[in-house]
Amino acid sequence: MLAISLRGMAARKLRTILTAIAVVLGVALISGTYILTDTIDRQFDSIFQTATKGVDVSVTSKKEFNTDNGTNPPAFAQGLVDQTRRVPGVQKAEGGVFDNGTIVGNNGKKVNGNNGAPNFITNPRQTPFDPFRYVSGHAPTANNEIAIDSFTAKKQHWHVGSTVRVGGEGPTQPYTVVGVAKFGDASSLAGAAIAVMPLDQAQRVLDKVGRVDDISIQAAPGVSADALVPKVQQTLGNSVTVRTGADQAKQDAKDTKQGLSFIKTLLLVFAGVALFVGAFMIFNSFSITIAQRTRELSMLRTVGASRRQVLGSVLGEATVMGFVAATIGLFLGIALAGGLKALFKAVGADIPGGGTVLQSRTIIVSLLVGTLVTVVASLSPAIRATRIQPIEGVREGAVLPPTRFSRLKTPIGGVTLALGVGLMALALFGGNTGSAVWLPLLFGVIFVFIGTAMFSSRLVRPIASLVGRPIESLRGVTGQLARENATRNTSRTASTAAALMIGLALVSGVTIFAAGLRHSVNSAIDKSVHAGVVVENKDGWSNIPAAAGQQIGKLNGVDAASPIRRSQAQVAGVSGTPDVTGIDPGTLRGVYNIEWKKGGDQSLQTLDGDGALVSDSWSKSKGRGVGDKIAITTQNGKHATFTIKGTYKNNVHFLGDISVTNETLAEVAQVTQDEYVFVGLKPGANAGAVKAQAAQILDRQYPTAEAVTKSGFKKEQTKWIGQISAFFYVLLSLSVIVSLFGIVNTLVLAIYERTRELGLLRAVGTSRRQVKRIVRYESVITAMIGAICGTVLGVFFAVILSRPLASEGFELSFPVGTLVILLILAGLAGVLAAITPARRAAKLNVLEALAYE
Amino acid sequence: MNAPLLVSAVDVRRRYGEGDAAVDALDGVTVGFPEGRFTAIMGPSGSGKSTLMHILAGLDRPTSGSVVVDGVELGSLDDKKLTQLRRDKFGFIFQFFNLLPVLTAEENITLPLKIAGKKPDKEWLDELIAAVGLSDRRSHRPSQLSGGQQQRVAVARALLTKPAVVFADEPTGNLDSKAGDEVLQMLRRAADDYGQTVVMVTHDPHAAAVADHIVVLVDGKVVRETPAGAADEVVELMKAVA
Repeated sequence: MLAISLRGMAARKLRTILTAIAVVLGVALISGTYILTDTIDRQFDSIFQTATKGVDVSVTSKKEFNTDNGTNPPAFAQGLVDQTRRVPGVQKAEGGVFDNGTIVGNNGKKVNGNNGAPNFITNPRQTPFDPFRYVSGHAPTANNEIAIDSFTAKKQHWHVGSTVRVGGEGPTQPYTVVGVAKFGDASSLAGAAIAVMPLDQAQRVLDKVGRVDDISIQAAPGVSADALVPKVQQTLGNSVTVRTGADQAKQDAKDTKQGLSFIKTLLLVFAGVALFVGAFMIFNSFSITIAQRTRELSMLRTVGASRRQVLGSVLGEATVMGFVAATIGLFLGIALAGGLKALFKAVGADIPGGGTVLQSRTIIVSLLVGTLVTVVASLSPAIRATRIQPIEGVREGAVLPPTRFSRLKTPIGGVTLALGVGLMALALFGGNTGSAVWLPLLFGVIFVFIGTAMFSSRLVRPIASLVGRPIESLRGVTGQLARENATRNTSRTASTAAALMIGLALVSGVTIFAAGLRHSVNSAIDKSVHAGVVVENKDGWSNIPAAAGQQIGKLNGVDAASPIRRSQAQVAGVSGTPDVTGIDPGTLRGVYNIEWKKGGDQSLQTLDGDGALVSDSWSKSKGRGVGDKIAITTQNGKHATFTIKGTYKNNVHFLGDISVTNETLAEVAQVTQDEYVFVGLKPGANAGAVKAQAAQILDRQYPTAEAVTKSGFKKEQTKWIGQISAFFYVLLSLSVIVSLFGIVNTLVLAIYERTRELGLLRAVGTSRRQVKRIVRYESVITAMIGAICGTVLGVFFAVILSRPLASEGFELSFPVGTLVILLILAGLAGVLAAITPARRAAKLNVLEALAYE
Repeated sequence: MNAPLLVSAVDVRRRYGEGDAAVDALDGVTVGFPEGRFTAIMGPSGSGKSTLMHILAGLDRPTSGSVVVDGVELGSLDDKKLTQLRRDKFGFIFQFFNLLPVLTAEENITLPLKIAGKKPDKEWLDELIAAVGLSDRRSHRPSQLSGGQQQRVAVARALLTKPAVVFADEPTGNLDSKAGDEVLQMLRRAADDYGQTVVMVTHDPHAAAVADHIVVLVDGKVVRETPAGAADEVVELMKAVA
């Protein structure tokens, strides 16, 4: 039985390939994601092991929790290094600094760009702590010398003797390159650029004079690292964390990979979407092929094959197809990993080096998922195949015997849809967090899709009329035939269109959501920010030196410069890590419009050192109101208690969930740099002129910062939305392509079924071109059915997802123009999908088609 | 007998395959069909009668020889022109699968006109539909019509464009005798009342008896041309040439 199936499959190669492509692409994305992230993980593991090679014990600033933007707790006093040296069992101890800086590339801008991989400044280490291997030159010793990592040196064509400008937060200075180094075996730190300079110079540049970020300790012979750790910890006290070198490497790797795991999950979600779409395709394809094999299967039943054997043969075919497709996908994933790498490079994360890591987990998951999806998708057609009676007449356009439930399909679809909506509502409005949100949300979305797909066969006729009538009036009978063909088998058309519907629902959902984000940010800036000029970091979110804002505040035309600072903290008895903003109560009112909920502008004066303002949404969700006390812990482990003096409406997080004065934040969290400086102008002052003056100061002294007008600020703050949307579109396009193959597949099968009709049309004088048009229009109609349903779903998703965010200032916005363009593109995609099937239909030999014997 | 030849084939050959495996379906056929005449092409199975009709109708090309229809040499036409010829100048009735299942009876009848982008003459259309007895079934789909009714729709379609020639390939092959008779009578009336030239391929002597003239093919050659007589005579004729 299986052999007959497989031979049939080989005979219908094109169809088999088209069906399997969905699984191939989906599995490729899974395997590519795992390969890429495993490779990166291994790189990071190796990097951190190199960094701690020779380090028996490592001392770093205490870090209570990880912040969202990966900031590190502040440096500690260099005097601790001397203390360390006096601990018995310590052979050698050395302090070091390691922090973000700016290395200026040949194009005059920061190496890797403002939003790319970071630039680091650090000092050379003595053996055995030295992770750098010099491929040319040596470590820098004088204060005007640096060494550069070999990856960056190669990209910028730098070598020993080149002059390179480097700076911390202050203005950059020229240095001479005296060495080019590899970091262990890696040519770079995962794409980051490193400048190595002597310790005291690095401390000056990084504004850490008298302080260090870490101490590397070598144990005396015979002393174990584990034994040394508690001794050092006891000596140095609680403001630092002491670990063995190996533990430090593990912890650092873990922290870095945390950020990566989010991307891995995201990519796997996209792979899941592609496979979900693929499942629809497989379901459709199997349904059609089995319908065509009715005669063959009924003959098999006549000669005595049991129902179970028929079921087994179809499922066996699905298993073989799924397994082969999954295998191909697994290896295609290796190529795809390269593609993903290029995608990341395009957004600035240039990860060097190769080495493809193919773990057994990747192989198992890829093969299992691919095969499973195929088998599950083929289950329903397989069961229906068993219902074929032994003697069955041959009719043209035979369809599978309906399932027991087929009459209930629409109501079941409706129920599934409602269930999906309910799950989504539970996830979003149930007040839960974590997996209690993601899991029901995921299943809710899946059920919504499946329910809509089942229900959509009712929508095929009306939508086909809507789209088909204009074609008909323009093109006459070819349009009419296309529309009639599309509506002949509504469940098949619906099933084909459903695949495209999923892709388009997600694309339009992302589009609408992004438009809403953009609108909300712009609207928040309009509502809240009254400053004529804003000073911020060129990358839009890092900090800038406080001195920059202070100098600009003294310019002509400037009324006041109000700095905003930011940190994160944990609050005792409450979940989450809220943002804590520092504000200047004296100047904030003039540049920023606070939407008070409880309290008013006068509350600003009551803040002092122990008062805080909180956002209304945080206050409500955590149950802390005016008059309550909150105990916070900073990243560095410092504690402080505040009394809530007022609440405000938080517009897209310009102010954090908790706000205190800048002085308080500096004292408690040691945040001495600004995030933004809102510059209020005197009446009659010209924003452009002030901006130009500010720009001069910044270029000269604080090159990491820039001054923008209010509209420039809007652009900067919304830039990332477009970038992330583009990233999503690229990944979703995979699913869209899969669904287009589905349309091609269905059309090819349909043309095979309608061979005689096509022969008749050609006999009575339909030209080849007209035949092509009939196929093309049918494809467009099918695509548009998917697109229209998808867009409606996308609107629904965007609306429902935005509800919980409304309290955070999210306002919906519908980019009608873009949505119309998406629909047009879907129509064009239909034209594209029709190319091969149309050609096939037109090439039919009339006589053969009419099946003369 | 003196009517001009609307369709004429001169030394038409059709060979399939090459060398030793070659089969000559038509081995030098020369035959003419005058205007307004109802001709039946008969012959045993494998005689080449269907092949001949396909070539006359522009559905197939001869290996050699010439075919002229209504003054046009078919060999000089490319695929596109042949298609247009079929659309504008020929009517077709096949043994089965004549109709598009997604169109109503009326839409099937007007199909060739619509393909040409023309509008049907309403009076002529109504007359034809009445003539084939389907006035009350115009908007039914083929699945709602009997076999005989479907063939009558095919007849109406073939006649609507007032073609130069109506080609019918075993039109009664799938019908019972009553339905078959109705179809044959319509073809007869088409020739008599509308002056339509009809070329019909059949193996049924009863059907052939309705025609004016019979051409008999055996092994790819014309072996007899004779005015049609009663069915019995046709049976005798067939026995004689077998």
